[in-house]
Amino acid sequence: MKKIILSTLAIATLIFTSCSDDDDGVIVDPGPGPELNIEVPTTYSFERDGESTVSFSGQTTRILMGEALISSMQDFDTATEQSLLDMYANENTPFEDEDLNASSKSVRGKVAASQDYFSTNSAASATIKQYFADLISAQVNEVFPAQTTEATAGVAGQIADGNSTRYINDKGLEYNQAVTKGLIGALMIDQALNNYLGTAVLDAGTNIEDNDNDIVVDGEAYTDMEHKWDEAYGYAYGTAFDLADPNPTIGEDDSFLNKYIGRVEGDSDFAGIAAAIFDAFKLGRAAIVAKNYTVRDEQATILRELLSQVIGVRAVYYLQQGKNGIEANDLGGAFHDLSEGFGFIYSLQFTRNPLTNQPYFSADEVQEFIDQLTSGNGFWDVTPETLDTLSSTISERFTFTVAQAGSI
Amino acid sequence: MRKIFGFLMIFILFVYACSSDDSTPDTSGPLPPANSTFERGPLLENIADNIIIPGYIDFLSKVEALEDATTAFVTTTDDLTAIRAAWLEAYTTWQRVSLFENGPAETVGLRLNVNIFPANVTTIEDNITIGSYDLGLSSNRSAKGFPTIDYLLYGIGVDDTAILAIYNGSEGDAYKQYLQDIVADMQSLTITVLDEWQGGFRDTFVDNDGSSATASVDRLVNDYIFYYERHLRAGKMGIPGGIFSGTVEPNTIEALYAGDLSKQLFLEGLDAVQDFFNGRAYNGNALGVSLSSYLDDLNVLKEGADLSTIIDNQFNTARQAVQGLGSFEQELQNNPPTAFLNAYDEVQRIVPLLKVDMVSALSISIDFSDADGD
Repeated sequence: MKKIILSTLAIATLIFTSCSDDDDGVIVDPGPGPELNIEVPTTYSFERDGESTVSFSGQTTRILMGEALISSMQDFDTATEQSLLDMYANENTPFEDEDLNASSKSVRGKVAASQDYFSTNSAASATIKQYFADLISAQVNEVFPAQTTEATAGVAGQIADGNSTRYINDKGLEYNQAVTKGLIGALMIDQALNNYLGTAVLDAGTNIEDNDNDIVVDGEAYTDMEHKWDEAYGYAYGTAFDLADPNPTIGEDDSFLNKYIGRVEGDSDFAGIAAAIFDAFKLGRAAIVAKNYTVRDEQATILRELLSQVIGVRAVYYLQQGKNGIEANDLGGAFHDLSEGFGFIYSLQFTRNPLTNQPYFSADEVQEFIDQLTSGNGFWDVTPETLDTLSSTISERFTFTVAQAGSI
Repeated sequence: MRKIFGFLMIFILFVYACSSDDSTPDTSGPLPPANSTFERGPLLENIADNIIIPGYIDFLSKVEALEDATTAFVTTTDDLTAIRAAWLEAYTTWQRVSLFENGPAETVGLRLNVNIFPANVTTIEDNITIGSYDLGLSSNRSAKGFPTIDYLLYGIGVDDTAILAIYNGSEGDAYKQYLQDIVADMQSLTITVLDEWQGGFRDTFVDNDGSSATASVDRLVNDYIFYYERHLRAGKMGIPGGIFSGTVEPNTIEALYAGDLSKQLFLEGLDAVQDFFNGRAYNGNALGVSLSSYLDDLNVLKEGADLSTIIDNQFNTARQAVQGLGSFEQELQNNPPTAFLNAYDEVQRIVPLLKVDMVSALSISIDFSDADGD
């Protein structure tokens, strides 16, 4: 009952809020119809004069750099603090893949670096960039030396999780999980939702005029606006098996956003979300080709809602799995889940609520959640009640229940 | 599936009910001009006659004083004080004219020829060692101008004694020659620019008073915003602060070798940008026709306040924030350099005011694209 009221209120608030400053009274057509002349292809394939206009190699590069980094974080034998920090910043040719070394891009440069959230929030941006560097350093300085120590409350080391062995810090946290799941928010979600899908970037400079007149970027087949939209797409699908038709392998193509779109899709309560996300990317891009920026922005709104929801669902899912593990006295399994949950909670501060244009949870709120998870001996101390409270707090701000997110 | 459908329904409601202006926090941009009677000619006159030309005259006099000081230095080579003072005086005055990369200065690429920093020490030393160089080559632009003089007066030795020893040593003549050649290069470029302004270009500039992509005001405003965004904001603060790379880069500050100057050079540049906006005469304090008065003439408002006042206030806020800092060298030792970055944010806040609000009110198209892509 409570849920129904809440969501009714949410819808009422939504309509009310969204109309409050709408003084021109324009009614916008809700979607594409034949009269809008938007030609939507079946796959994410767009051409100009027979040449593909789709380009997001920079995003593919960053995903691959992230993969190398998180893999190397578990390389106890050869990784050093410097080698890992070099991978994070792409300095001193840190990768085995020479193409990555040759790239001017890095993971670090685009962490917490969106136009909408961080262009006048540089200190927060720098702090978050450094936060990941600190997690990476701690992995080498705290966890590597304890490789053959048995972890106990307050002592870093290894802990069994079924057939696997996990390596945790003194509070039970796997730093590599905190980095991986944290980057989904700080890099992929922030760049896609708060940079490339925002009008500050899509419409920057003469982008609208150029796109209206099919003026392409020098030496490229695409307009700047088309490219910006593609770059958002690339953070979800940049390493897909089929870059134009990524959903057949959704969830299997990276360890970041793609993977968890796939995981949420696999929860029957959310089945259909992968198609909805892909369709919104595709329709938005087709709308740019058709120079229909209203439909484009409607798709951006949908993407902000759905991709944020992926983060929220997985945060609650892992908190619930962690709770179940603690109750079953499977601490290794519980800590692994809570480590993933920790990273998704961190990522909440980069989500984008289309109704407020703010994250679903502010940085301060996220810090409060993290403080609850890490106080005292951290995961060794955290209670099922705390995990339930956190789960409800998070799910209530979205439009799903703990039960929907917590089960598959 | 049902849930997804529900979400989509909500969105359909949302988009159906309202316009789709959902992604910019500020939805109340400047109002379009009701009935513009503004004449662009007087604006251009004030800028040319009272700001740009007096600015270049003053700058040339400072470059010539630097040349005199250089001649004196290479003759006696026993004291760096006078030439350093002349260098700083000219470098400071440069901050007053750097923003006018329009017309003659744009043609010769004045800014790129006198102030690419950090200087390329390898190229400088190679040039000096080989003893033959073409300062007109673009590959030599980072081996001349103020940053190279900074290196030659402060950076070639660990202290003054060591620096003077180099000028008095076996390679001394080569260093002296290079120093003189660089100063002469700056002088000759500046004379070229000033001569053109005092020759035919002034009238060409003022007469081109229409409103099109090639009209003087449109070009000037683009060059002005480009300078603000790329050179003042990014070059002097953003890049050293790690805004773009994610890593603090203290070795990219202006006047790296002299030290403790980059903040004051920044502030001088900020003053110049604000004075230009307000149409303040280069000599004296008289306010003339300006971008600010242009906006007032069109009665451009943003959230109920004059856009010109909002911009001017933000310049003041940015100045106070930067003035409140220690030297850039000190600030950049912090990780992250929070105070420096907070001040940068105030500098950044001017960008959309100029680049979005002002230009849309004046119907000027931005002709440069954001470099900060993927």
